[in-house]
Amino acid sequence: MKTLERDSDDRQLIEAAQNEPARFAELYEQNFVRVYAFFARRLSTREEAQDLTAEVFHQALASIQGYKWQGTPFVAWLYGIAWNVLSKHWQKLGKHSTQELSDISIAGEEIERTVMLGKVVESLLPDQKHVIVRRFRDQKSIREIAEELGRSEGAVKQLQLRALENLRQRLGGTL
Amino acid sequence: MNREQLAEELDRQIDALMQANLSEEPAPPDWLAPITRELRLLPNEQFHARLKQELLEQAESLESSDLEAASEILPSLRQEALPSFSTRQIAVLPADPRSLFLSFLSHAALVALIASGVWVGHVTLVEKRSLAELTYTPLPPGDTDPKGGGGGGDRSTLRASRGTPPKFSEEQLAPPAILVHVEKPKLQADASVLGPPVLKLPQSKQLGDLLSPNAITPSNGTGNLGGIGDRSGTGIGTGRGAGVGPGDRLGYGGGFYRSGNGVTAPRVLYNPDPEYSDEARRVKYQGNVVLSLVVDPTGTVRQVRVAHSLGMGLDEKAMEAVQKWRFAPGMKDGRPVAVEVNVEVSFRLY
Repeated sequence: MKTLERDSDDRQLIEAAQNEPARFAELYEQNFVRVYAFFARRLSTREEAQDLTAEVFHQALASIQGYKWQGTPFVAWLYGIAWNVLSKHWQKLGKHSTQELSDISIAGEEIERTVMLGKVVESLLPDQKHVIVRRFRDQKSIREIAEELGRSEGAVKQLQLRALENLRQRLGGTL
Repeated sequence: MNREQLAEELDRQIDALMQANLSEEPAPPDWLAPITRELRLLPNEQFHARLKQELLEQAESLESSDLEAASEILPSLRQEALPSFSTRQIAVLPADPRSLFLSFLSHAALVALIASGVWVGHVTLVEKRSLAELTYTPLPPGDTDPKGGGGGGDRSTLRASRGTPPKFSEEQLAPPAILVHVEKPKLQADASVLGPPVLKLPQSKQLGDLLSPNAITPSNGTGNLGGIGDRSGTGIGTGRGAGVGPGDRLGYGGGFYRSGNGVTAPRVLYNPDPEYSDEARRVKYQGNVVLSLVVDPTGTVRQVRVAHSLGMGLDEKAMEAVQKWRFAPGMKDGRPVAVEVNVEVSFRLY
């Protein structure tokens, strides 16, 4: 039942974007983390992942008029574009892509894990979220974060501890 | 340990994990490493907002211009980069007569090689240069079932229906699908599954999973990511990946066989010598490196890994050498298949 609902949502959003391109923003919001995670897991720098993510969505928007609903999730189409964008990127760098592209078989579950983690981080209290994002994603030191928040380093470490405890609790056994 | 000490300790472990320097720290708890790794993959909010703004601007320009004209600007881009799920071109998949002819020639050559006694189980290299001996040792007979394969589906409530896969391709432009609803596709690409094109499986007009019990109701299967199957991927089968079969990744079965049980071992055709590393030669370091590798159906070496390490740069030298080796592939039921073998490289100074 959930799948049917999601397919129906996909279809409505696609039709809306085809009639009014600005509505593509909703498809973007729904799939941004997935596409970004697809690249972030395969590329060594954040800049590369961002560039290729942007390329996928620009191409998708430019081509949304020609998209025909076939009952498959919209994200599968985006993954197809992402696959090709990544393949060309690797070819440009002189990498053999076939073997590495085969990793897509495990990407689905991993990508969904990233999506869930992002949602759980979003649900943290603002200070806890700030500490987690700056410390782990942006690789900042406790001192730098303490300066940003105007708090002591000890207080930031306590925030970090509480945030990680909350993350673990909310994620259950998935990490 | 009170909360303050716990917070301090945890932060030290996070620092060590981030700098990959765990030698002086107590081992971090099991949950910390994966969460540290996963959190690094989260996207940046500024980038997210900036890209959204760019897309809105692009949408505005699309709206203000003639959409039809805009879509004509991009046909080559689409052709090049976008997948198509058309069924028009995948309904009939005749065997390519050139492939058939090449396949016949390669098989004939293979038979001739076997008959001429070129096959050898062990390869001793010329010692004047390499100072090393390579022994090619097929592994003991293994499981007759391949490990890999593919899968897919569109989260249907029904198992994927029975049928045959499309052709194998080194690059997959469009995944196979049984249920599609494209009346007049603008973008077309033949459906394919990922794997060496030399792999041939039975083909028919009906796409589907060869091993599926559902022979009646058309279905793409209960899996996801767009192929045909019950797990995930853009291939066909009960596995995960873009190939065909019950396992993972690509190709038929996606994984590999071991020789025996009807699977013949690959045979070495070209085996350039390994070199001694400077540091090992300097200290007269000797010993054996055992490498595990897979010879794919084209005879190319894949997935080389060190099964027994020697160090002093000799593992790398051994790997460099075998990467250049070429084989006649292992065969099963008259078809080339990927087979795992071991290669032992003996480094000796005389």
